[in-house]
Amino acid sequence: MSAEVRELRRQVRTWRRGRTDTSLLEAFQDAYVAIFSALVVGAMAINVLLNLRVVTSGACTSEACVDARGALGWLLALAGVTAVLGVARLLGPMLASPAVGSWLLATPLDRTALLRGRLLGTLAVAAVAGAVPAAVGGLLGGFAASAVAWSAVLAALLCVLLVALAARAQAASDRGIRALGRMLAAVLWAGLVLVAAGLVPGASGSPATPVLAGAAVLVGAGAAAYVVRAGRALAGIRRQRLTDGGALLPGLSGALSSLDLTLLFDVLLARHWRARSTVRIVRGRAVGGGALVWREVVRLRRNGAVLTALAAGLVLPYVAATLGLGHLVLVVVTLTGFVGGVGLFTALRVLSRTMSLLRCFPQPAWVVRVACLGVPGLVLVLWGLATAPAVHHAVGGPWPDSLLTALAAGVTVAAAAVRWTTSRPPDYRLPLIASPMGAVPTSLYGSVLRGFDVLLLGTIPLLAAPTAVGAAWSVALSAAVLAFLVSRR
Amino acid sequence: MTAPLLRVRGLTKKYGEVTVLEGVDLDVAPGRALALRGRNGAGKSTLLRCVTGADEPTSGTVELDGSPVDERSVRVRRDVAAVTDDLDFFPDLSVVEHLDLLARAHRVDDAEALVDEVLEEVRLVAQAAQLPGTLSSGQRRRLALASAFVRPRRLLVLDEPEARLDRPGLAWLVERLRREKVDGLGILLASHDPDLVAAVADDVLDLDALGTPEPPVSSEP
Repeated sequence: MSAEVRELRRQVRTWRRGRTDTSLLEAFQDAYVAIFSALVVGAMAINVLLNLRVVTSGACTSEACVDARGALGWLLALAGVTAVLGVARLLGPMLASPAVGSWLLATPLDRTALLRGRLLGTLAVAAVAGAVPAAVGGLLGGFAASAVAWSAVLAALLCVLLVALAARAQAASDRGIRALGRMLAAVLWAGLVLVAAGLVPGASGSPATPVLAGAAVLVGAGAAAYVVRAGRALAGIRRQRLTDGGALLPGLSGALSSLDLTLLFDVLLARHWRARSTVRIVRGRAVGGGALVWREVVRLRRNGAVLTALAAGLVLPYVAATLGLGHLVLVVVTLTGFVGGVGLFTALRVLSRTMSLLRCFPQPAWVVRVACLGVPGLVLVLWGLATAPAVHHAVGGPWPDSLLTALAAGVTVAAAAVRWTTSRPPDYRLPLIASPMGAVPTSLYGSVLRGFDVLLLGTIPLLAAPTAVGAAWSVALSAAVLAFLVSRR
Repeated sequence: MTAPLLRVRGLTKKYGEVTVLEGVDLDVAPGRALALRGRNGAGKSTLLRCVTGADEPTSGTVELDGSPVDERSVRVRRDVAAVTDDLDFFPDLSVVEHLDLLARAHRVDDAEALVDEVLEEVRLVAQAAQLPGTLSSGQRRRLALASAFVRPRRLLVLDEPEARLDRPGLAWLVERLRREKVDGLGILLASHDPDLVAAVADDVLDLDALGTPEPPVSSEP
């Protein structure tokens, strides 16, 4: 570490210590509620997982089910690794706050020395984030205790390796890491398709500890080599690439701290399109409300990633049906459609956020909203219909009932997505209540449930009666919600 | 005398205990421009928000062609083109697609030709395919101004339209607003630029001269 950086850190430490008004012990005493709560919740989560393991072991007796269960353990680990790489690429993985970017990165200070600690911290977080889903997957997949531990270690080391690769790619502006992320997602999806189709190889659910340990050693060696190379590449990362993630993080953490998930969506959406910079111009068609509808068609073509994700997500209800989850398949249908589909409603989201833009259009607000939700809503209804075979397989009964149930699930997904995208930010003019985070408006906690409430409302009639009657009730409730959301001022 | 297009009488706006505007009267006739002047916080933007219906006055009336302004009314949305600071854009539509969408939504004949013409006027032809998130603040301002000129309008409401414009942009704005007046449009603008006000405005309302509303008397000692 260069002497200047060491001196700078010493100064920063001195300033910070000069301003401290509490000791470490006092801080722990103040935070005991949070620490105690984390311990209790963690213990509860582990207990739930162990119970689930026992329940699934008892329920899953056929060879096919055991194989599928084992494969899902692996796939959960792979999903964790893929997610870690995705988040690392989103944020950098190396990042610096705008203040550090302006005040320190612009100086001749040794950039490697400044960033080395951050790299190690990032790798540690990545390792933990990769190990947890792998451990959960191993537990639920029925792995032996040693296999659970080794698979968690393997996933952690894989995450370290991938994040180190991503850090190197950040310096070299290498797009290969993007392809690697897509490849992992494709493998994950292919694995899910195999599970859904009941074509899982027989040995997938019984990992041998020596094999896992050997793989961990190999991946660990690769990770160590690439961590060293990533450390050497730190000086070559451009300031812009470091501050990009640093500028994004406060927006994301601000949105999370105010429990405003739609704001989180806005931040990510803006970043996504800013990175794209330009588009191929598509001139409009039709006039009046028709012009808005045509734009939604253009958006659909332009937003290929969301459509692909939605189409890929179609496999999940079929996996649930193969696993014999029964009526719970309907919950998987609505949840998957909701998570995958909200990204289609960008126009509605922007118009809900910015009333001045809505006022630019001559049509009444409800006409503009209907024009904006028509095309994505139709896509979600069709998506719901595409889950009909899974619903039929899981719920049984005559085909017309399954089709109507799947259709109603699609309508529910569309209504929930509209509810979520048209939600308003917490209103700080409302009465405030005291909380550990300070004074918060009464609507803050409820805002997290927006969308999910409508999902529940539309799914309950389907769970109670997956027939034409249940579907009719579900559609009626969703339609009432949509009518309210579209017509409100 | 021509009947006013916009008539504001006794407009008062309070935020809680704080009075921002008190008893404002103004008229804007077709083919005339009224400029609002005043220090920061004098209530210029608040007044414009009340005029466009974005904000409801605490008391007083705002009438467009003799009818109360209600931003939900199709007539008001069709006739009033407003460019304010809080105008946002769709992140996934390019510059030209924004203007095209707006023109078509307003049922403009030959929307494509008008959009191209306005795009050239605001010097955004090179940025036509660019997404708004990548525009500079001056370019975003020009896009916002362009959005007012690709649609039918009778009253233009502009909040500091000169903000972030370069010198050629300012010259274009002056020329364009003069043309709007010749075409019989009413203009209500808030501005800190004395040159723009002198070049465009027929009347000036100085909100500072109306007097700073007295702060509410506190009941506490």
